[in-house]
Amino acid sequence: MTPSFLLVLVPLLPLLAAIATVIAGRRLGARAHLPAVVGIAAAAVVALSLLVVTARSRGNAETPRPIDVVAPLWQWATVEDAYAPASDSHAAVPGTAVGEDAYSARPFSISIALRLDPLTATMLVIITSVGLLVAIYSIGYMRDDPGYPRFFALVAMFVFSMSMLVAASNFLLVYVFWEAVGACSYLLIGFWFQKPEAAKAAKKAFLVNRIGDFGLAVGVFLLWLTYGTLDFHDTFSPDGTILPGILGQTRLADVSGYVGGIVGTAICLLLLLAACGKSAQLPLHVWLPDAMEGPTPASALIHAATMVTAGVYLVARSAPLFMACPGALVTVSIIGTTTALVAALIGTVQNDLKRVLAYSTISQLGYMFACLGTGTLLGFTAAIFHLLTHAFFKALLFLGAGSVMHSMGGVIDMRRFGGLRKLMPITATTFLIGSLALAGIAPFAGFFSKDEILASLHSKGWPDVHHSAENEHHAMIPDLPSTRSRSGAMHDVGYRGVSGDNDHSNSKKASALVGLDALNQPAVWKTLFWMALVTAGLTAFYTFRAVFMTFTGPLRIPDEAGDHAHESPSVMTTPLLILAIPATLIGFVLFTTEGLAHFLAATPSFTAPSIVETATASVFHWDLAIQGTLAAALGIVIAAVGHLGRRSDGPQLERWLGPIRPFLENRMFIDQLYAAVIVKPIEAVAFLAAIFDRSFIDRSVRFFAHLPLALGSVVRRLQSGVLQRYALAGVIGVLAIIVFLAWRL
Amino acid sequence: MTTLLLLGTSLALLQNGLVVGAILFSLGLVGILSRRNLIVMFLSAELMLQGISVSLVAWSRYHGDFGGHVLVIFVLSVAACEAAIALVFVLQAFTRTGRLDSSAWQSLRETTLDRSIDHEIPSLDTSMPSFPRLTPAGRSPDTDEQAGMQREHV
Repeated sequence: MTPSFLLVLVPLLPLLAAIATVIAGRRLGARAHLPAVVGIAAAAVVALSLLVVTARSRGNAETPRPIDVVAPLWQWATVEDAYAPASDSHAAVPGTAVGEDAYSARPFSISIALRLDPLTATMLVIITSVGLLVAIYSIGYMRDDPGYPRFFALVAMFVFSMSMLVAASNFLLVYVFWEAVGACSYLLIGFWFQKPEAAKAAKKAFLVNRIGDFGLAVGVFLLWLTYGTLDFHDTFSPDGTILPGILGQTRLADVSGYVGGIVGTAICLLLLLAACGKSAQLPLHVWLPDAMEGPTPASALIHAATMVTAGVYLVARSAPLFMACPGALVTVSIIGTTTALVAALIGTVQNDLKRVLAYSTISQLGYMFACLGTGTLLGFTAAIFHLLTHAFFKALLFLGAGSVMHSMGGVIDMRRFGGLRKLMPITATTFLIGSLALAGIAPFAGFFSKDEILASLHSKGWPDVHHSAENEHHAMIPDLPSTRSRSGAMHDVGYRGVSGDNDHSNSKKASALVGLDALNQPAVWKTLFWMALVTAGLTAFYTFRAVFMTFTGPLRIPDEAGDHAHESPSVMTTPLLILAIPATLIGFVLFTTEGLAHFLAATPSFTAPSIVETATASVFHWDLAIQGTLAAALGIVIAAVGHLGRRSDGPQLERWLGPIRPFLENRMFIDQLYAAVIVKPIEAVAFLAAIFDRSFIDRSVRFFAHLPLALGSVVRRLQSGVLQRYALAGVIGVLAIIVFLAWRL
Repeated sequence: MTTLLLLGTSLALLQNGLVVGAILFSLGLVGILSRRNLIVMFLSAELMLQGISVSLVAWSRYHGDFGGHVLVIFVLSVAACEAAIALVFVLQAFTRTGRLDSSAWQSLRETTLDRSIDHEIPSLDTSMPSFPRLTPAGRSPDTDEQAGMQREHV
């Protein structure tokens, strides 16, 4: 079987499983999980084999050469001469195309094509393996739920959409499945739609995501205007010339293949907006904590391990585009780090176990964005590395929280239970492993990926400490945009049309960019590094606060649990045990062998010259590791002092926080801010619109509805039911005709 | 034949025919407009038809061709068929309501309108009219018991 066939198989199997569940779910009853579990398991096996295939075809580890296998399926739509601007109206076109045929007519074609490269293979393995474990876990967790078949149909549907999202080789296809995973997320958050909070949370998630989706849509439009295609891969036009795809090898090999300047920055910022929406970054993070209303397995799969990482995937995939716009890159980092810090702060005071994990997810995603924004090969691979480890340990934590919730009769408020380690030892142990991984304690997975993230931030803040090749790069970055616009004269075709004066438009462009690019200073990066380090400490603190509150101290069980509080069934604990293995080992294995970094370096997106030149020899930074571990240890110690064995007089730390606590407990009033700034004005407009609708539009419609009735009530009198009157009417009519005719004649 | 036709083409004959026809037509019209008995209304309609027929014949004679006559024969035959059908309808209407009064069908009016005639349909006088009685005279005839018995065997 060829790799491209296997690649098609990965999304296809869950899709078939979803269809089978929809058709036969009711009939299968308690066995409705079978199609989904089997389908996703098969997809996981195929994804693993794809990973092996991709890894085998990798070239020399030192000089990565791009690996990609394109599987074109069919042409969805083709519009010939879709883009044929009038010869003298270049001003109407906002972007410029690369290449001589910038303004020649080109077809708009949407090719349904999948592409396999190391990044896709990695993502596919994460999605299908976590998806499989979550599906198995759900057999126990969702048992006896009236929507049992619906849940598995949705999970299979989600795995299909998410695999398509990471395998798609076309920005439009990415957009389609970007929406599809959003829809699956909406349906799973609102799984218990009878519950008003769940329905509300689902609506909120959908609406907030809409803002990001808008960014993606506009970004895709701009990409097409700028590059003339939406394909990632190179395609051939009918006359045999190569049409370079946006992330195809032709364009990647071209030093000036990517547009910088205002257009490039706008594209990147729009993609970033999309990523912020999907990955719950500031200021669009508000939906994720509320999304915890959904079933816990769905939270683990969608809102921790996979879907929320779509934003990270998108930015990583579009890395060469971002590399051309340093201002956008640094924005990615700033947003990521700020999100990481803010979410960690809010997470420290949450009392709902799932909410703590939700804020932790936001915070960890912020970490990934922070190192994506460094614009170095180390940063990109570290982000994917952290994505990988985070997917496993956060899924583990969520499933552990679900296990607690399952045996506590649906109670998830940590203040109401404690000492559960005696009651549910497997859950407690695996949860502790996940927590150690999240906190970044030495042998566990999170330690290594977090260390790489800190290292990538550190290398930008203190460039002279690091590799000399990196130094050159750092020195070069601040004046990169001007260099680009000078060397890539082709890019400016469009702007020449605007002003007729190339130099003038260039200087205008440069001055407009100063705002964002000016942020690309070592001082800024130093601040970001310290913020990330503080976040590491906070992460350890809130994680172990949750551990101590839930699993230590005297045994306390809420009334809702009844007398059946017990360890979860083995169908739920087995996935926990399996997930504990990667949460423990995967970081160590992948870091020491450097397998993942070298593997990912062969991703076409990361082989752009601008990224390859940032490659550094991978060094284990002892100083950073010590700093990170110290921060984490400090967090754990504070959590221990504050929460361990202090049940009787209440958690100590919450008194230490003093006046900041209500501020954090109310999630920094961000929801209230949204309510005041956006929701209330919209409601006011809606109120006015409703008045207008009722008093004007409805009334005018009713007027026309009443008009025939009014006419009818007049004419109705004629139908009296008296035969003689009808006859008389006939006679009068005939007489009238006769008189008329007589008069006419 | 020709003489007869020539004689008949006088204007006076036409006038007479038309007058008779008009009188018949008007009588029929008045009958239809004033009577409520369905059969009488139907008869009035027939009367109007015959008034038209008379005037057709009159014109036909006046012009000296037989077209009008032929048409009248048609009208008569069609009227016979129509009479059969119409009487069936009348009969059906009668079995529905037990009346021949057309106002019994007033309920077919618009529901929002009041009854326009006879808020109460006059009830039929079902009591037997008192017939004059003849004083009995003579004697009753003998009854032949055997004959009666014989008749039973017939």
